[in-house]
Amino acid sequence: MRRSDLGEFEEVVLLTVAALSPGAYSVAIAEELEQETGRPVSTGAVHAALQRLEQKGYLRSEMGEATAERGGRRKRFFTVTALGGRVLNEVHDVRTRLWDRIVPTIRLEWR
Amino acid sequence: MRPPKLADRLLAWFCAPHLREDVLGDLHERFSLRTAREGVRNARRRYWRDVLAYVRPEFIRRQPEVYPQPTNTTMLRNYIKIAWRTFRKDTTFTMINVVGLATGLAVALLIIQYVRFELSYENTHPLADRIVRLTMDYMNGGTVYSQDTETNPPLGARIKREMSQVVNYTRAYPVGEPNLTVQIGENYHLVERVLAVDSSFFSLFNYPLIQGNRNDLFTKPRQAILTESMALTYFNTLDVVGKTVKIPKSAGSILLEVIGVVPDSPANTHLKFDMLLSYPTMLSDFGEREDNWEGNNTLTYVQLAENASYERFEKSLIAFNNRLHKEKRLVNEQVIGQKISDIHLYSHKTFETEPNNEARSVYFLLGVAFLVLLSAFVNYVNLTTSKALDRAREIGMRKVVGSTRRQIKTQIFTETLLINLVAGGLAVGLVAALRSVFVEVAGLPEGFTVFQDAFFWESLGAFLLLSIGLSGFYPAFVLSSFDPVVVLKGSFSRSVRGTLLRKSLVVFQFTVTVILLAQTFAVYKQVNFLRDQNLGVNIDHTLVVKAPAGANAQKDYGAFRQMLLDESQVKAVSLSGTVPGLRSTHMGTTTGVNLSDAIKKTSYNYYLTQIDTSFIGLMGLTLLAGENFDASTQPAFSDPTNRQLIVNEETIRLWEIPTPAAAIGKQVDLWGRKATIRGVVKNYHYESPKAAYIPIIHMYSPNFDSFASVKFAGGNARDQLTMLRKVYEANFPHSPFSYFFLDSEYDKQYKADDRFQQVFGALTGFAILISCLGLFGLATFTVSKRTKEIGIRKVIGASTINLMVLLSGDFIRTVLISIFIGLPITYFIIKNWLANYAVRIELSWWLFASPALLVMLLVLVSISSKTIATALMNPVKSLRSE
Repeated sequence: MRRSDLGEFEEVVLLTVAALSPGAYSVAIAEELEQETGRPVSTGAVHAALQRLEQKGYLRSEMGEATAERGGRRKRFFTVTALGGRVLNEVHDVRTRLWDRIVPTIRLEWR
Repeated sequence: MRPPKLADRLLAWFCAPHLREDVLGDLHERFSLRTAREGVRNARRRYWRDVLAYVRPEFIRRQPEVYPQPTNTTMLRNYIKIAWRTFRKDTTFTMINVVGLATGLAVALLIIQYVRFELSYENTHPLADRIVRLTMDYMNGGTVYSQDTETNPPLGARIKREMSQVVNYTRAYPVGEPNLTVQIGENYHLVERVLAVDSSFFSLFNYPLIQGNRNDLFTKPRQAILTESMALTYFNTLDVVGKTVKIPKSAGSILLEVIGVVPDSPANTHLKFDMLLSYPTMLSDFGEREDNWEGNNTLTYVQLAENASYERFEKSLIAFNNRLHKEKRLVNEQVIGQKISDIHLYSHKTFETEPNNEARSVYFLLGVAFLVLLSAFVNYVNLTTSKALDRAREIGMRKVVGSTRRQIKTQIFTETLLINLVAGGLAVGLVAALRSVFVEVAGLPEGFTVFQDAFFWESLGAFLLLSIGLSGFYPAFVLSSFDPVVVLKGSFSRSVRGTLLRKSLVVFQFTVTVILLAQTFAVYKQVNFLRDQNLGVNIDHTLVVKAPAGANAQKDYGAFRQMLLDESQVKAVSLSGTVPGLRSTHMGTTTGVNLSDAIKKTSYNYYLTQIDTSFIGLMGLTLLAGENFDASTQPAFSDPTNRQLIVNEETIRLWEIPTPAAAIGKQVDLWGRKATIRGVVKNYHYESPKAAYIPIIHMYSPNFDSFASVKFAGGNARDQLTMLRKVYEANFPHSPFSYFFLDSEYDKQYKADDRFQQVFGALTGFAILISCLGLFGLATFTVSKRTKEIGIRKVIGASTINLMVLLSGDFIRTVLISIFIGLPITYFIIKNWLANYAVRIELSWWLFASPALLVMLLVLVSISSKTIATALMNPVKSLRSE
């Protein structure tokens, strides 16, 4: 499994989709990320990342219902595929392993 | 609240359609969320930023369609593919077409640049169409016998006062023809073109000041303005305001204050200058008077009012002349106007500021260039239509499969377009290669740029369009007209109609070639004939030096002369006001010199020049009667009461004296005093033999103030020059040494003819090249179509000679027709052209027969390689060929 094809922003978006599931669509994700990071996140950036993730097979999408705020346009809902889930797990594992190897004294010094 | 409409429009424009629903939905939803949270203003601002965040390739790229959209490109791609195959299949044809078209285009492009330059004269002056030069016609009774560009100084002011159409005027007085010696610091320099002008000069002509103050120009005497390059040459800086330029004079030098710098005169103006003086300097230092109605030495330009019509101006000029005549200001002169934009191409008066061109020859060259281009089109049309037969099956198939006529035309046009584009590229390369040669030959200004000019690319585009249209139209029409049923059945043969058209086009081509060739011969013969004329004056081995400036010139001349005569190579030294070969306008002119006892007074223009005692001997003039000046003769200017004159034959002809001997001792009225005819010399050509003999009156002057001529016995010109320079510098240490060889100076007069001859010759060469290429192509084609026929004829027993006559006969007949059409036309053209020359060649049969023979020979050469090869071919081989 190649890890290199998951960018940092993509990873975050993928995680957010997993977290918001089943109501994950671009506006919700952008709003969520804006709240979490405190920085402005445009739907454009999110949309592009979602497109890429879908192309790679980590996400699956389907059209939802239309709403008035969208001017009668439909939403596109995203869910994580099995492959996406595996990739997320793998990333998480790599990170945990690395975290575990950090000597406790250093962690103390950070605080 | 709605999101910004403009942002939506922008998004809809760049965003791929299949993503639009998603994207717009997201944006609008977020907008309403933000409006609720942060208010409308912030939401709208953020909306814009969000829209711009979608400007990425992922959103812009359109979704690929399942079906390739425009079916046209497929067809076009097919056309290009077939075109490429056709070109490759017969490289000879492709090469002939491309080379022919490229040459034609390059020639046309270069000539149109030249013509544009010639027509662009005075364009740099915004008021040019309202500026009129006043000139003088000299009348003898009712006929104009001489036209002079120079006018009397009070004329401008008076015409402005009296004519409401004239709003401004300026005078321009050419100072110190042919050049003026100035002193800057310790150094002497020769300035060639110096004009004394009024302050209004700067409002008529467009010369913005680089240095100096625009107000208050040239109101005082002794002011000067330099051109940029003059300032840089003499002062090494543009910062020259306040510096001094000195004009050395024997009686007190003139100190000029530099008050400004202007850009150099453009190459396309008739009135060029290196230095300007304030007009008041003429009054203070050069003895000119504001009310001088006797001498006309100044150019006058007037500016017409904005709405004035030129015709009306000319009408009021007649009344103006009448007033001047009534007041006896003018007697035999008539003031006439001349638009300055007409000067360069139409004016050939005396004292022109520079030699002008002729509109006729400019347009003539343009016409010839177009004929060359047309000839290239003819090649293309002929070769393509003659090859049509080869492609008949292809066209037939296309039609059967469902192609419309229009599609086939498009196909043929595509091929024409491709050939032309390649030819256009090649033409640009040719122009680049020929540019520097052309600039020199055509006499364009140095550094004349071609490619930087938008006009070049525009004309290239225009020519290509013309070429594609003219050369593509007929082939497209012919090829698309084939009837598929006839063609595919195989019963299709060459049509008479097409052959006739091709033949007439070839006739046209070769008629043009014959005419051009005969013209070239005539021009060449005429120019050489002029060169070989007996000038009546010996200009060989003669060096001419300009007189030094300053007071000591006179004193030191004796020593200078003696030192020269001591050298063994020097045969003679003489002084004169001007020398033959310079423009006759360097002589003074005066009108209305008459015999004292003449009953009928005439008012012809006579040329006056001063010579010393050795001039006639040195120049090899023949004294027909009377005697030369000698040491006892009084100089003409020191003794106005008994002037001695030596005149030429033309002068006594005008005075109606029957023989030279009868003229000796006769009295003449000159400038209100009596003068005596002392001798008569044989007519000689002061200027090139192109012009008729002019009446010349020689007067005696031993002063070294213009030129000294030194005649050598022959030998090395460089050594002579070194020697002369040494002697000159030893005697006149502070003066610049300025010299010329008399024969080469004389030769300069043929420059215009040489130029015309060279450009014309080159055009003819290209025309021949193109037509012969075309004929070669046609011969290749027709001969290859008849290979089988030749084989059969050979088997039956035809000889090689028989076959060659058979194959070439058609072409020779066509070319003979061209010759018979071309020669009479040539006869008229040459006859008209020669009428411009006072001395001209006789029209001999030879002049017409040789170009005809040459064309015939060229035709035979261009077709023979193919005809001979085919005639010699082994019939076994040719009969097997398909």
